[in-house]
Amino acid sequence: MGFSLANIDRRVFYWILFIALMVPFLNPIGFPIKIAENTRDLYEGITEDSVEPGDVWVINFGYGVSAWPECHPGVTVCAKALLREGAHVILMGPHTDVELTYKHLLDTAKEDFDAATYGEDYVFLGYITGGESAIAQLASNMRSVYPTDHFATQLDDIPMMQDVNTWHDVSGVLSSDTGDWGGYFLTQWQEPYGVPMAQIGIAMLGSTGIPRWLAGNYFGMSVGSRGGAELEMLIGEPGDAIIAMDSISVSHLLIVIAVIVANVGLLLERGRRS
Amino acid sequence: MAYPTATMEVIGLWTGWILMLTIYSYPLYKENPVYRFSEHLYIAVMLAVNLVVNFSNVMRICVTPMMQGDFLMIVPLILGIMIYTMLIPEYRWVSRYPIAILVGAGFGLGIRGSIGPNIQDAIVSTITRPTDGGAMAWINFLYIAVGLISSVLYFLLTYEHSGALQAPTRIGRLFIMVALGAYFGNTVLFRFTMLTGRAQFFLQVLKLIPM
Repeated sequence: MGFSLANIDRRVFYWILFIALMVPFLNPIGFPIKIAENTRDLYEGITEDSVEPGDVWVINFGYGVSAWPECHPGVTVCAKALLREGAHVILMGPHTDVELTYKHLLDTAKEDFDAATYGEDYVFLGYITGGESAIAQLASNMRSVYPTDHFATQLDDIPMMQDVNTWHDVSGVLSSDTGDWGGYFLTQWQEPYGVPMAQIGIAMLGSTGIPRWLAGNYFGMSVGSRGGAELEMLIGEPGDAIIAMDSISVSHLLIVIAVIVANVGLLLERGRRS
Repeated sequence: MAYPTATMEVIGLWTGWILMLTIYSYPLYKENPVYRFSEHLYIAVMLAVNLVVNFSNVMRICVTPMMQGDFLMIVPLILGIMIYTMLIPEYRWVSRYPIAILVGAGFGLGIRGSIGPNIQDAIVSTITRPTDGGAMAWINFLYIAVGLISSVLYFLLTYEHSGALQAPTRIGRLFIMVALGAYFGNTVLFRFTMLTGRAQFFLQVLKLIPM
């Protein structure tokens, strides 16, 4: 058995996986989703008493198109929640495809953005480069990093940006990341100036982000598409993440089964040899 | 979101769908010319997009203000151009100056904010005893304490890991292996989520599920 398992073409597993991932989209299973404390803290930090109308919040798209399934549902919920509280939202991102993510957000939170006015309720500053130095500079003088918004309008000509230029004018930061950008906001905004911040990270960032949430550096943390699904439940509007959760759970189950089968095969093979 | 109706959007959608399948033809079948075409196309498009976006960015935050009278902006521009001297062996040494400035500024800024959240707060959070959560919180607290101390002891390289140090360093190694396994597991699962997104897109374009 071990010998035959070892000789199975890996493409067979890929095909099984590819097909198995599609089945839950066609026939949803409806696995239960329990809301984690870190996700609840994030949601409570951007709703009700935590946000006043007119507060300025930064949402950083620290992810590219490839990470939409992980990060975008969470960002969508947060943008909806902030706009509904009357907050002003600054959108920006360090990926070259940031414009696609911005347009996607306008689509996924269409009703809320349609009800809001560009330049008064939200603004898209566009692409940022320069890593940690740029984020540090953004805290002290936004206009030196972004003289204009993405559409080449001077920041001084944008109503909601007229009194916004430093960390002092910002009530909070939400960084959605596949990498280091949340850490840059942590070290350049949260630590020196105490700007509240939370992270909407991919699953990998859970291991670095959760200790920061436990230490109080992040007021909340959404981990991967699971976190996005939890946020969708909290706001009461099922979206892409809840739909995808069944498929993701199936993929995890398949991996666990594959690991077990491979180990059983290995043990049987060793037994046969000895 | 709704299924696009504009002709160009539909063409874009189907182009993405076909290119996605050609890329997946590599793991699902084998390397083939169609896959290689898509791979090269992807790299070329990404390179072009990066070039255009970054060039526009330099124009926006540096060149345009300079043309409007902010002459200090010539400094980052010159530093940026100096980096390209690494392409000329004779003048490669010039590129070390902007790189030194970048590294120095990066380290300086990094250290400024790192000590608090990444060291001090993390230590305080780890050694603070739980005030609520019951027995489970205490088990977690002790588990993390044992894991932390034994993992740190594992990197005590000035003493041989024998005698009193043998047991804790072995436990530390186990904790490190578990941590690395969990980290790798998270990495794999992130990739699977990306794959799930593609599976969803595959079905959405075929109108088998709503977009």
